[in-house]
Amino acid sequence: MGDRPAEVSSTGQNVAGEIPAEEPDAVTDEATVQDDDVELERTIGLTGGLAIGIGTMIGAGIFVFPGLAAENAGLAATLSFAIGGVIALLVALPTSELATAMPRSGGGYFFISRAMGTAYGAIVGLGLWLGLVFASAFYLVGLGHYATAVLDEVGVALSVNPVIAIGVVFGAGLTALSIGGTENTAKLQNGVVGILLVVLTGFLSYGVLDAVGVFGGGAVPETFFSQGYVPVLTTAALVFTSYLGFAQVATVAGEIKRPGRNLPLAMVGSVVVVTVFYVVTIFVATSAFGADQLGSFGETAMVEVAREFLGLPGAIAILCAGLLATFSSANASILSASRAVYALSRDALLPRRASEVNLRYGTPHVALLAAGGPILVLVATGEVELLAEVASFLHLVMYGLICVALIIVRRREPSWYDPTFRTPAYPLVPAVGALASFGLIAFMQRASIAIGVAVMVASYLWYRYYAGDVVLEGDI
Amino acid sequence: MTERPSILVPVRVLEGESIPEGVPELLANAHVVVLGYHVVPDQTATGQAQIQFEERARKRLDKYEAIFEDAGATVERRLVFTHDGQKTIDRMITEYDALAVLVPNATRPPEDVLVAVRGAVGVDRLARVVAGLFADAGVEITLFHVAEADETADDVQTFLDGVTDRMTDLGLDASAITTRTGGGGAPLDAIVEAADEYDAVVMGESDPSLTTFVFGMPADQVAEQFLGPVLVVQREPSTADDE
Repeated sequence: MGDRPAEVSSTGQNVAGEIPAEEPDAVTDEATVQDDDVELERTIGLTGGLAIGIGTMIGAGIFVFPGLAAENAGLAATLSFAIGGVIALLVALPTSELATAMPRSGGGYFFISRAMGTAYGAIVGLGLWLGLVFASAFYLVGLGHYATAVLDEVGVALSVNPVIAIGVVFGAGLTALSIGGTENTAKLQNGVVGILLVVLTGFLSYGVLDAVGVFGGGAVPETFFSQGYVPVLTTAALVFTSYLGFAQVATVAGEIKRPGRNLPLAMVGSVVVVTVFYVVTIFVATSAFGADQLGSFGETAMVEVAREFLGLPGAIAILCAGLLATFSSANASILSASRAVYALSRDALLPRRASEVNLRYGTPHVALLAAGGPILVLVATGEVELLAEVASFLHLVMYGLICVALIIVRRREPSWYDPTFRTPAYPLVPAVGALASFGLIAFMQRASIAIGVAVMVASYLWYRYYAGDVVLEGDI
Repeated sequence: MTERPSILVPVRVLEGESIPEGVPELLANAHVVVLGYHVVPDQTATGQAQIQFEERARKRLDKYEAIFEDAGATVERRLVFTHDGQKTIDRMITEYDALAVLVPNATRPPEDVLVAVRGAVGVDRLARVVAGLFADAGVEITLFHVAEADETADDVQTFLDGVTDRMTDLGLDASAITTRTGGGGAPLDAIVEAADEYDAVVMGESDPSLTTFVFGMPADQVAEQFLGPVLVVQREPSTADDE
């Protein structure tokens, strides 16, 4: 990869008279070059990219969903997670290709606005921001469940259920920390993900050995499709929230070193890693208790699984891991949401003020509040499944359109289009990826679909009102 | 005229760091690469900081560029928004093949400069920097070497004479060079102690090791205690690619 000009021109202005920021002159392995002598350094390596992807995803799939999924689909929840993983992989490949051709911040929003025009871009971009807001709220409610379980464990009895209060407090705390904190959050995130992977690998290895009978017991064989076939797909739609993280890698594509190599590895790698962990987790969890009993434990089912295998120390380890995982997922999503707001305001789809940097802390306080504020409202609803599904809905729309965008760009093959990574089995992979993404939406609850559609309509109306004149489509 | 050595001058351009007094005179014969950089926290996209701060940073760099040009240097400049200042500095060193990096501290117009020589490795680059900067500047050069336990006084003198020859070959006036030997003890403390009497220090970069990992690079430690400008001569760029 050498200097590759991003041949995308944007014109027009929004209601406030702001025009889209200038496109860079060149994109190199180590920096984005903006008019000659101004550069934006790329500082996130492969480890950092993987940590963003895995760190965002692993909190939900392992620590919140096993109980809920087993309740809905029985042992076949394993298959639901596998389906989610395959769809994520089908989307991760086209996303990787587009990201290596356009390694710019904003991820899916950036590709779609450049390949399909401003209207699609606005719907996806505003949807990405709000989708991440829903996802963060979901992780925070999960965090609330884990904190409550910790309180139970140490014997603190409360008259009211503290789940929502804890979620709100942590949400407010995280937002404040992001605005005022100057410590190195990226390194912290790498460390947290490392610890989680070690703890989980140890725990799951023991669980698998136990399940196949090495330590005596052995699992009771159970009917695989105990709830029928359709719940497998509705559960897949529900748990798809556990696969949203790889696209967060693309939202910081502009800051990734050697994007041609690291972006595909980080995105595809993180999807493969978490899929394996999810499937094994569900297998171990259901083999310990059976799906019905597992379902009765709810959000913190994994704590009971650990207690069954390893006693109190196991339960404590998984409680701590659950707190860390949901916390890091929420944190990563808030930061990504703020990046999405920046990408939109850079393109004049939101007021320029929205990406303003705070002079005291050097952090984008308006964008972070635009993420943190609505999150608190959503956490207050406490609706785990609804929050998860709306987040999935908004992301799935984007994923489907990313696949469509890839097909559009490939058909026209503009001269500047020179991705270092090319999707295998084109056009099969993006076509199936698009169909699967849109198809999965059909298996969601009515309420989630209604809210998702409402967000999309509102996004479109906002675009017509605020930035109807802005043209972002690339030269393709 | 000797070849102008390229010297990288990193400045945290938006945090009140500027070009301290005496530094433009020190680098009058150099090819100066002014690197204005701004470190943004991880929560902030680098492009966000750019939108907001580029203009102000540019104005400051314009000023610095003029200061160095007035002193007689040739100047190039870069402005980088980064999450990791050290990575940016390292990249610039490679891109410009900079012989040395300046740790800017104020000084008076330089009259005498302490050049710390450690061993034969890297002497060539050190000599090019010193000769390039001070060949016609009327500056007194003192070569300083801290003797190690197994070195005799003769060994040290032979070694320093060799360095002197190398520098005179490159155009320095032999009469401007004196040699000095520090006896025993920690080389670092000896350098800091000796540096007190001089206007600036030129020294080599150390190889990364466990000690440098724990205590930081010796050059940085010297810069911190000396309070004058320190020119850190960079190692030969390695061809190995990390990551």
